[in-house]
Amino acid sequence: MLEGFNFRIIWEYMPLFLEGLRNTFLISILSIFLALIVGVIACGGRLSRWKFLRGISIIYIESIRSTPLLVQIYFFYFGLPTLGIRIPEIQTGILALMLNSGAYIAEIVRAGITSVPNGQIEAGMSSGLNYFQRMRFIILPQAIGVTVPPLLGQAIVLVKDSALLSLISVMELTRCGQVLTSERFMPTEAFFTVAFLYLCIYFCLKYLADWSQKRLIFKETY
Amino acid sequence: MIKFKDVNKWFGSLHVLQNINVHVKPGEVVVICGPSGSGKSTLIRCINRLEKFQDGELHVDGMPLHNYSINLTKLRAEIGFVFQQFHLYPHMTALENVTLAPIHVRKIKKKEAKEIGMEKLVRVGLGDKASSYPDQLSGGQQQRVAIARGLAMSPKILLFDEPTSALDPEMIGEVLDVMIKLVDEGMTMCVVTHEMGFARQVAHRVIFMDEGEIIETEKPDQFFDNPQTERAALFISKILTH
Repeated sequence: MLEGFNFRIIWEYMPLFLEGLRNTFLISILSIFLALIVGVIACGGRLSRWKFLRGISIIYIESIRSTPLLVQIYFFYFGLPTLGIRIPEIQTGILALMLNSGAYIAEIVRAGITSVPNGQIEAGMSSGLNYFQRMRFIILPQAIGVTVPPLLGQAIVLVKDSALLSLISVMELTRCGQVLTSERFMPTEAFFTVAFLYLCIYFCLKYLADWSQKRLIFKETY
Repeated sequence: MIKFKDVNKWFGSLHVLQNINVHVKPGEVVVICGPSGSGKSTLIRCINRLEKFQDGELHVDGMPLHNYSINLTKLRAEIGFVFQQFHLYPHMTALENVTLAPIHVRKIKKKEAKEIGMEKLVRVGLGDKASSYPDQLSGGQQQRVAIARGLAMSPKILLFDEPTSALDPEMIGEVLDVMIKLVDEGMTMCVVTHEMGFARQVAHRVIFMDEGEIIETEKPDQFFDNPQTERAALFISKILTH
């Protein structure tokens, strides 16, 4: 079966693939980092006492979750320049991924926080701890345990979603596959390599997940 | 110490506290009893403002709780609260549970707080369980840690909301023993409980509530042997024969 498989061409295009891998990796890391910040802020707004903040957060979260990522990417890619904002494709892509994942992360973090029983909060209040102390010492340590696995899941989704940036000609991994296909017409070799490299990123993230779980989750047996 | 004056509270259209007038003096132990839904938990939750009320005046330790601008953190630091379901922090050891508030609210140094925490754990008979997590402790032990957590703040008042109702029968005694010891030390306590033996032995007064109203306030012997109202008599006969 592998007789028709051209390994030489993969080797020849390896510098291109490595550049794509590097870009996918950097785009993903940066997006997930920014999405975490956006998500925590949106979650704070969603749980806020003030109607206005809550309203804005709900509109943001729901509108992102109800529309396809590809539409959002095109919206920023074609929409921003008509509003007079010109930024390179790669930044547009990061912006779209950040806002997209941020909405999902907001909901993940919210689920973690609301999973902490109300009695815990009342116990903290009764001993005179203020809002931030209750968050810091009682709620967040318990919420992190249930939040880390779905957050890592979201990070893996984001890496795979970044393939859509190939459609606005960001030179990431999938785009490299498309280049090889159009230049040499060898789609099997091209996308086999691309898939293999995504797998590598996936295992890196999984390793990170296991590592963080050991350190972040307060008690393994609990 | 605690002074309710014509306090009224509604949950929507439900009148859960009706014209409450109670005065608890320093060092006094008051047991509050009554059928479920009578408003007894709501009453003691008002004392540290876990519940708000709409009408009337309530002074606790000289602070006017009907005035919404008071410093709640300061108020609550002076009042220990023990819950029916313990509510220990599951990610902390017994000692960490006890020392959290002294360190962060009272701003006591860690080392000193640990000494105070150990002293309180020894006092409730759990000196050897300091490094255990709540899920490694029995219900009775957890509730005693919860009492030690309240004591560690050196509160002026201790409130108990059905502290033994979630416990297996054989563990009730160990928690009551700790509470009796506190009574002997002169702690001001308000206890919602159905433990009539406890009420008879140590309470200075028993308050009987039904449907949001205080029906009777009596000395325990008077209340149990000679209840003045039919509702109280019915309640006593039910819990004594159950």
